[in-house]
Amino acid sequence: MSLFTPELGLVLWMLIIFLILLGVLGKYAWPAIIKSVDERAAFIDKGVEYTREAEKDREQARADARVLLTDARKQQMEIMQQAERAKQEIIDNAQKTAAHEAKRIMESARLSIEQARVDAEFQLRERAGMLSLQIAEQVIRRNLAGEEAQMELIEKLLKEGEE
Amino acid sequence: MYRLSRMIFMLLLLVPVSGYSRPAGEKEPGTLDLKEVIFTHLGDEYSWELPWGAAIHLPVIVRDYTGEWHCFSSGYLEEEGEHEGFYIAREGTHAHKIVGRDEAGDEYRPLDFSITKNVVAIGIGAFFTALMAFSLSRYYRRNRFKAPRKGTGFLELLVEMIYKEVVVEVLEKDARRYGPYLLTLFFFILLSNVLGMIVVFPGGANVTGNISVTLVLALCTFVVVNVSGTRHYWREIFWPEVPLWLKVPVPLMPLIELFGVITKPVALMVRLCANMLGGHLISLVLVSLIFLLGAMGSAAMGGTIVVSVIFSLFMNVLHLLIAFIQAYVFMMLSTIFIRLARE
Repeated sequence: MSLFTPELGLVLWMLIIFLILLGVLGKYAWPAIIKSVDERAAFIDKGVEYTREAEKDREQARADARVLLTDARKQQMEIMQQAERAKQEIIDNAQKTAAHEAKRIMESARLSIEQARVDAEFQLRERAGMLSLQIAEQVIRRNLAGEEAQMELIEKLLKEGEE
Repeated sequence: MYRLSRMIFMLLLLVPVSGYSRPAGEKEPGTLDLKEVIFTHLGDEYSWELPWGAAIHLPVIVRDYTGEWHCFSSGYLEEEGEHEGFYIAREGTHAHKIVGRDEAGDEYRPLDFSITKNVVAIGIGAFFTALMAFSLSRYYRRNRFKAPRKGTGFLELLVEMIYKEVVVEVLEKDARRYGPYLLTLFFFILLSNVLGMIVVFPGGANVTGNISVTLVLALCTFVVVNVSGTRHYWREIFWPEVPLWLKVPVPLMPLIELFGVITKPVALMVRLCANMLGGHLISLVLVSLIFLLGAMGSAAMGGTIVVSVIFSLFMNVLHLLIAFIQAYVFMMLSTIFIRLARE
């Protein structure tokens, strides 16, 4: 059956054409295609790896940020507490100083009042003495007629003195 | 479903038209030698038939018994013509082949290196394979790291399917060395198979259904497998690990192993050829059925047209599937044989 007997001519032509095709494609086409496909696969793998790494980094950064934030909050609390304490201290100090100052002022006021009182007493005493002297002078000058007149005079003089 | 039923309806509409439009006198259905027609189409030819009776006359290159070369157009041999003492045999062992007569007047077959229809078809298949591979490689050169889309994407899918899923999986570190051969094999067979299914000029030749073509392909695999065979591979053939009596007085096992070495590529050759031949044969038979039953009258012919067209459409879809599967199987088995030889 001629369908199943190989033809020498066709075999030869087929061999020539197929080997040329194989040579050309094997040298110029397939290695380039395989290389490109492999390179692209490697590139994509690297990209995925990179993304995963970035994801991890971001996660890490987020955790870091959280820690930092917590620290910052803690610090803030501490600072505020310190400030509170400082404020209290300052207020205490101020109060103490104020009290002290007030006491000092009071003291000095008391002293000056005392002084004024002493002065006043002294003046009063002097005045009283003077009055007494004047009264006595008047009394002596009037010659002292009668008790009634004396009393009247004394009264009058006292009134004068009080004025 | 609606579309399908509409298509069938349209085909039914065609029935009477087709039935009546064929003039009875155009060709006597009874005289049609179907076997002749079918086997002419399945075999090789010296010219390429085109629609509307046109033909491409291909060069005939023959060497006669005196050792002289003759080269002329096959157009001279049309209509049982004779040129430079050569003509196409009508029947006998050399039917449809160029024969000549020697001094004694006996018919003989000269050395025939004609550019036949199949040679041209192989060239076209190789051209399309190269076109495809170079379009893909050019795409990669122009677009680095960019995945192709549409047609090129489909090609890449095929390449990836063959190379990544089969060649690399099976051959591992040898993949780069044998990849080009296996890829060329696959795409050449696939494109030749598919081109064979196209009815008009660039296709239509029964290339992969021709034993000569598959012989060369199987031979290539045979050579690749045995050239890359390791010591282990040859030891397995000539000194397999079987009881001594199986190999010493009579080398029974080595003989069986050696037989296996030859049957592997032979099986490849026959499988591809028979599958593709079968596909062509069924299409031809189904179409011929129209002419065969057409002799019984218009109604029978119309009915046969509908049945034949639908059935041959179905068979063609099947054939397309087989075209792919056979290319894949040929490539995959070659890969596996190489792997077995590399162990």
